[in-house]
Amino acid sequence: MKKTDFKSTAFLKSGCKRVLKIMKLTIFLIFLGLTGVSASVYSQSKKLTLNVENGSIREVFDLIESQSEFVFIYKKNVIDPARKVNLKVEDLTIDKILDVLFRDSDVKYEILNRQIILTPDRSVKSKPVDIQSVLQLQQPQQKEVTGKVTDAGGLPLPGVSVIVKGTTIGMVTNTDGEFSLNIPLNAETLQFSFVGMKTVEIAVEGKTTFNVSLTEEIVGIEEVVAIGYGTMRKSDLSGSVASIKAEDLTAFPTIQAMQALQGRASGVHVQATNGEPGSDFRVRIRGAKSISSSSDPLIVVDGFPGVAMPVSEDIQSVEVLKDASATAIYGSRGANGVILVTTKSGKAGKTTIEFNSSYSAQKVLNKLDLLKTADYIDYVNEIEPGRLTGSDFKDTDWQDEVFRQGGIQNYQLAISGGNENAHYYVSGAIYDQNGIVLDSKFDRYSVTSNLDLQALKNLKVGVKLYALREHKNGTVNMEGSGGAGQTGVLSATVLTEPTIPVYNEDGSYHSSFMTGLERDNPVAIAREMAIESESDNLQANFFGEYQIAKNLKFRSTFGAQTWSSRYGNYMPTTMYGGRSINGRGTIDGRRITNLSNENYFTFSENFNEIHDVTLMAGYTYESHRSEFWRAQSENFLSDAFDFWNLSAGSNYRAPNSSLTESELSSYYARLHYKMFDRYLFTFTGRYDGSSKFAKNNKWGFFPSGAVAWNIAEETFMDGIPQISQLKLRGSYGITGNQSIAAYGSLALMRTIPSVMIGNEVVNAVTPNTVANNNLTWEKTAQRDIGVDLGLFDQRILLTADYYYMKTTDQLFQVPLVSYSGYNNMWSNFGSVENKGLELTLSTVNFNGDFKWNTDFNFSRNRNKVLELPDGADVLRSVFPGHMVGIGTTNVLREGYPMGSFFGYIYDGVYQEGDTFIPGGGFEQVAGGEKFRDINGKQDGELTGQPDGQLNSDDRTIIGDPNPDFIWGLNNTFEYKGIDLNVFVQASHGNDIYSFTLFELELMQGFNNSTTSALDRWTPTNTNTDVPRATASRSRISSSRFVYDGSYIRLKNVSVGYRLPQSLLRGSGISYARIYLSGQNLITLTDYPGFDPEVNYLGSTGMGTTSNVNVGYDYGSYPSAKSVTVGVQVKF
Amino acid sequence: MKLSKLYILPLLTLFVLGCTDLVENPVGRLIPDGFIKTEKDVQTAIYGAYGKIASDNYWGREMAAAIMLRGDMVDIGNRSTVAARIQINDFNANSTNAMIGTFWPMAYQAVDAVNTAIDGAEALEPTTEIKALIGEAKFLRAFTYFNLVRLFGDIPYIDEPVKDPEAVATISRTAESTVYQSIIDDLNYAKENLPMEHPLEDIRSRPSKGSAYTMLADVYLTMGNWQEAYTHAKWVIDNAGSLNYALEADYQDLFDSGKQDGMPEHIFAIEYKRGSAWPFDVDSHAAFSGMSGSDEVAGWTVTVPSLAVYSTWDSRDYRRKVALADSAHYSEILVPYTEFQGTKRPHIAKYWRFMGVPRDLVTDTENNYAIYRFAEVLLTAAEALNEVSGPTAEARGYVNQVRARARNWAGTATDFPADVDAGISKDDFRTLVLEERRLELSFEFKRWWDIKRRQMGNEVFKGPNALEPHENFNDTKYLLPIRQRDIDLNENLSQNPGY
Repeated sequence: MKKTDFKSTAFLKSGCKRVLKIMKLTIFLIFLGLTGVSASVYSQSKKLTLNVENGSIREVFDLIESQSEFVFIYKKNVIDPARKVNLKVEDLTIDKILDVLFRDSDVKYEILNRQIILTPDRSVKSKPVDIQSVLQLQQPQQKEVTGKVTDAGGLPLPGVSVIVKGTTIGMVTNTDGEFSLNIPLNAETLQFSFVGMKTVEIAVEGKTTFNVSLTEEIVGIEEVVAIGYGTMRKSDLSGSVASIKAEDLTAFPTIQAMQALQGRASGVHVQATNGEPGSDFRVRIRGAKSISSSSDPLIVVDGFPGVAMPVSEDIQSVEVLKDASATAIYGSRGANGVILVTTKSGKAGKTTIEFNSSYSAQKVLNKLDLLKTADYIDYVNEIEPGRLTGSDFKDTDWQDEVFRQGGIQNYQLAISGGNENAHYYVSGAIYDQNGIVLDSKFDRYSVTSNLDLQALKNLKVGVKLYALREHKNGTVNMEGSGGAGQTGVLSATVLTEPTIPVYNEDGSYHSSFMTGLERDNPVAIAREMAIESESDNLQANFFGEYQIAKNLKFRSTFGAQTWSSRYGNYMPTTMYGGRSINGRGTIDGRRITNLSNENYFTFSENFNEIHDVTLMAGYTYESHRSEFWRAQSENFLSDAFDFWNLSAGSNYRAPNSSLTESELSSYYARLHYKMFDRYLFTFTGRYDGSSKFAKNNKWGFFPSGAVAWNIAEETFMDGIPQISQLKLRGSYGITGNQSIAAYGSLALMRTIPSVMIGNEVVNAVTPNTVANNNLTWEKTAQRDIGVDLGLFDQRILLTADYYYMKTTDQLFQVPLVSYSGYNNMWSNFGSVENKGLELTLSTVNFNGDFKWNTDFNFSRNRNKVLELPDGADVLRSVFPGHMVGIGTTNVLREGYPMGSFFGYIYDGVYQEGDTFIPGGGFEQVAGGEKFRDINGKQDGELTGQPDGQLNSDDRTIIGDPNPDFIWGLNNTFEYKGIDLNVFVQASHGNDIYSFTLFELELMQGFNNSTTSALDRWTPTNTNTDVPRATASRSRISSSRFVYDGSYIRLKNVSVGYRLPQSLLRGSGISYARIYLSGQNLITLTDYPGFDPEVNYLGSTGMGTTSNVNVGYDYGSYPSAKSVTVGVQVKF
Repeated sequence: MKLSKLYILPLLTLFVLGCTDLVENPVGRLIPDGFIKTEKDVQTAIYGAYGKIASDNYWGREMAAAIMLRGDMVDIGNRSTVAARIQINDFNANSTNAMIGTFWPMAYQAVDAVNTAIDGAEALEPTTEIKALIGEAKFLRAFTYFNLVRLFGDIPYIDEPVKDPEAVATISRTAESTVYQSIIDDLNYAKENLPMEHPLEDIRSRPSKGSAYTMLADVYLTMGNWQEAYTHAKWVIDNAGSLNYALEADYQDLFDSGKQDGMPEHIFAIEYKRGSAWPFDVDSHAAFSGMSGSDEVAGWTVTVPSLAVYSTWDSRDYRRKVALADSAHYSEILVPYTEFQGTKRPHIAKYWRFMGVPRDLVTDTENNYAIYRFAEVLLTAAEALNEVSGPTAEARGYVNQVRARARNWAGTATDFPADVDAGISKDDFRTLVLEERRLELSFEFKRWWDIKRRQMGNEVFKGPNALEPHENFNDTKYLLPIRQRDIDLNENLSQNPGY
């Protein structure tokens, strides 16, 4: 029965897919069809050069008709054919020429194939006739001025509008940045303007040649930013959106662009989980909202949601959508914020070749102070006299053996350019890193290719391609269980006794035998264990945008991403762990396929110069598919097979495979309404359907609204010219989070091995989960109040936001009575709040020859659990598996932040004569660990008062891994081609629970210790809080190993020199800069571990997604400090 | 005209939506509703229960180790181990104890697996094969509840698959006596419908008629129903030939993983094989009982007998030699237990000496654990018969069979332990059988049950002769506390006295 059911749906599904395929083809054909009827390629391809001085319109027409196949059709009364004009154009298409010819006139033109139809344009009737333009057209008293416009780097700027100030006389620079214009003799000032550049005005004063250099606008109030399904002028935003500039993303070499976002935008908390090349970053926008599901933001690249972020070098800009008004357009995935990435594209003009290259030398950030051999022997023998005797001891510094100088080579070559109808950008980048730990290596090769075509007058098409290969030779670090067989390189580096050598006399690795348990030494683990992975990512996004009417366009995108990876692991017989099983090889494969189709209309119209309306509405379909397979084999004939010949093993382990699919289907709409450029309103709604949710709750609606008031535009502000911008914003909305695994609402069976027949393992099937037919999204309601203030012509720009977010219907594994056979069930329960304050301050301190800009951002977020099932604490244990006995290490408790550390309060050590607090498993000797008695029970209820004994009631919250606030400060200085950039990033008030130090400093003598062992309690050294050395100490979760993880880090400092134009002349190079920079050179912190920027993932399998298991440190790969030299060249 | 054509686009996207019903079809995963359609499906569902019973959360570690630690034969070796184990051993566990928190839910998961199987099977045509499968499932349900009821007393008793956990969210505990009656009913069904031998004759990991009789004898022995205990044990002894039950010649072979499959002495066994998928098919007893750091086994020194267990045990007893390791190699040097690294006591050797895997793969052994073996049936018969008729020749004969085998010192005949003196009194014989069980079945997860059913706690844990003194022992310690988490979720669940 079941099987036929399945088949029939599968058939239906494939039927649907076929129709979908046909449909997509149809859409494509319709595009082609439209091409045929709407316009001819001729009008777009034919270019004309005209030079008419003081000629009549009719003469111009004749000239055009003689040079081309165009025919003018018009009624006599529409235009005055005798009207005199001056016209000088070079290589322009007909529409551009007609634009100039009929600018500000009441004539409208339409190009139909080769016919040009002229009709009266009633819409401009009311406009007063521009006297100056009439003058220009009628009076020959003019002179010609010429010139060239370049950017700060000396590159020609095409498309700059050059006008005579106060008139409409003007033109646009050509592809070489040149212009030639007839201006009235009495013209006083020429104005040069270009989007994103500061407008320049130059007095004519009799000059006829103008060579002008434009510089980028300080803070572009007119800057256009991406907002998801569209763009918008920054000044028109009513939501909270942070932008990160391209140059900040490439300030230093990064593996992932995410790394470059750290410290760059308020409200965006980026944290490295460890320093291993290629490891993931934990990103939270305005805090962590979910108890159980991911709070990772949604990444949208050029309109393709949920794909990989391209490499930093290929990114034009990054916008971070933060408040509900901005994110609600992404509905069920907007709750965690959205990172919009716009990749670079070509500009009309000469082909630009850009080459960037850098080399970085790296070294470990810091080392731990560990015991040397003599002290180690004293320490161990104090615990067990006579354990280490003899004289044959080495003094190996394992940190020196394992850490090495690392290096990064980073190259990028980009070629871009285009003409008015086609823009291209092609870039290739190579990143190659040798890690600071032996044998760790990471390479990345990527290609970005963006092509935009104005295929027709009304149709734009384009394709964005991004391909990536990553290759990683990893190390074992942050091991989930650790212990004898599974020790990672980093934990072995600090734990291994200094007394042993790296190698035996026969060249084999010397094992560690700290407590009689054999372990591999760290060099053996680093060198011998093969951990290698390779990933290929290919994402392509095709778009077509059709201008249906002047104010209405339709855009459709088809995106496809495949991400395939292969992971291989081989533990050879040269390692202790591989010896007894004769080697173990594992190979994993994974493939993820995402498809996306977006279709939306955008209507924008201005009514009476007062009401500005933009309405966007559309539909999306997405599908995700994830495949996984694994094979493993043991008992190999030889280590030489590595993991590439698993059949060479003779003990095949159970293979594994799985498939997970999900779909998302949505309708969305957004209305922007602007009145008098002062009052802004945005309303957004998205109706989302996700397959991941239960059958009764597949669909959800996510609305938001925002208002903003541009106070500076009000007339009563005219008297305060110092205020160039003042905008108040307010928004409210509801967004969702659907980040649970697929099938979470279904009752499922699982297979388990069950030993049965004749010692043969048979598989069994057993109930695993119960259904929840009402399971649905988490909902986050957010309100935001913000202000944007610009002073002194935008030289000081301050943005401040306050937000409050409440996430309800948490996807929560609600506990079930366990005698039901089920421990818990996915359900919607509980709520969490986040509230915070964000500040961004950008100032231009000096703007002359000496330039100094400062960007500062500050974010403060307070996270609090509001509601849990029955209000009961949820106790959780996270620790390396071999550190048994630690028990609960964090707690979910109403009124406290997620991830709060849990344990006893450490009160130093007991002294002789102290009263020992009784309690099972607690030390009651002088020199023993002393914990505080804070609570007791009476009649089964906690009293909150000490009861004279230690037990589990005395555990409490002992730390909070969430920072109180984070900030970033960037200063750039520039003087005559020399630039200096200083970037500082900081986190304050976050606690770290270090299992590394726990293990090192437990004073149990089971492994090496930090030098704090020298201060351990002994009858003669009593003034200390380090307990005495004893083998019989239990591991107890306490405040002893919770540290303040605050830090201030000089993330980057760089000095660059731009070669002057005089040197470059004739070389074909238009821009060249060399620079020297340093990363992580200084870190101010009290944290005694390797690096405060850490997040132990453990064996929880939660990756960076967990919001509860955060702030732990164990065996993590330390960060590096680097010195980088680089060169940037443009041709 | 252009516009009218464009309007098709949104209409087409509407069509896509029609296709997207957002229904999940979890390929490669099974949905429970209507899963059981054939005899094979019933078997597959029953296998699920075996998997759970053999898991680390149940017999592989947590529950079996808890039973072991509660007895007086096994103490904690390394007191820096997990506190929950120490508390179980020291009789100061509370209702949030992590061992209970692990095996209590797994016991009920096994129950849910067999309930699912029985529910599915009962809907099929009741052939002999189907009834045998139901018998097998009921045997496993009885086994699981027999353990639960002995550990916790009154317990939530569920005999239907739980499709909606809300349905059982407010039930109260079922009285111990009612649970026992349900266990007896299940076993009676099992003994009537299970085959004498499994089609594959060597199978000991699935119950036969003999297994059901054996467990019934144990249930009656526990209840003090001596006559029924004797009757059922006697049936097994009388039918040993056709059930293919017999004592192994060499006591050591009982604990040799290479010889355990299909072993005639095993009446019902839980099997392990290398290739675990945590927590399933994981056996931690070798690790728990082994010496840490020795060449023989990379053990963890958790379940280690007190020194008194070794020193009070006659050194002439071959079973002591098999059961315990009083010397071991460290870096290829053989040292006595006084020089062991860490805990300087003899360690249990039954589960690692021939565990079938290298010393490091200590949680992934090939061991089979006898839940019942023929020697125990003989001792059960002897004990029950003594209560009914006194130390008759028949009763003494059963003990003598067990002792005779013990005299075979790896092929060499010895004279220890001698046959039971024919003039023994009834009381002395009772004591003798219990002592014989303590040594013959040492470390086989039996001793605590004997202490509990004979209410010997105050005797064996107190005073100068206690193998493992626990002066805090009192009668409330015979039961463990009901898991607090479930009491928190269901206010109708009461707690045992003393917790």
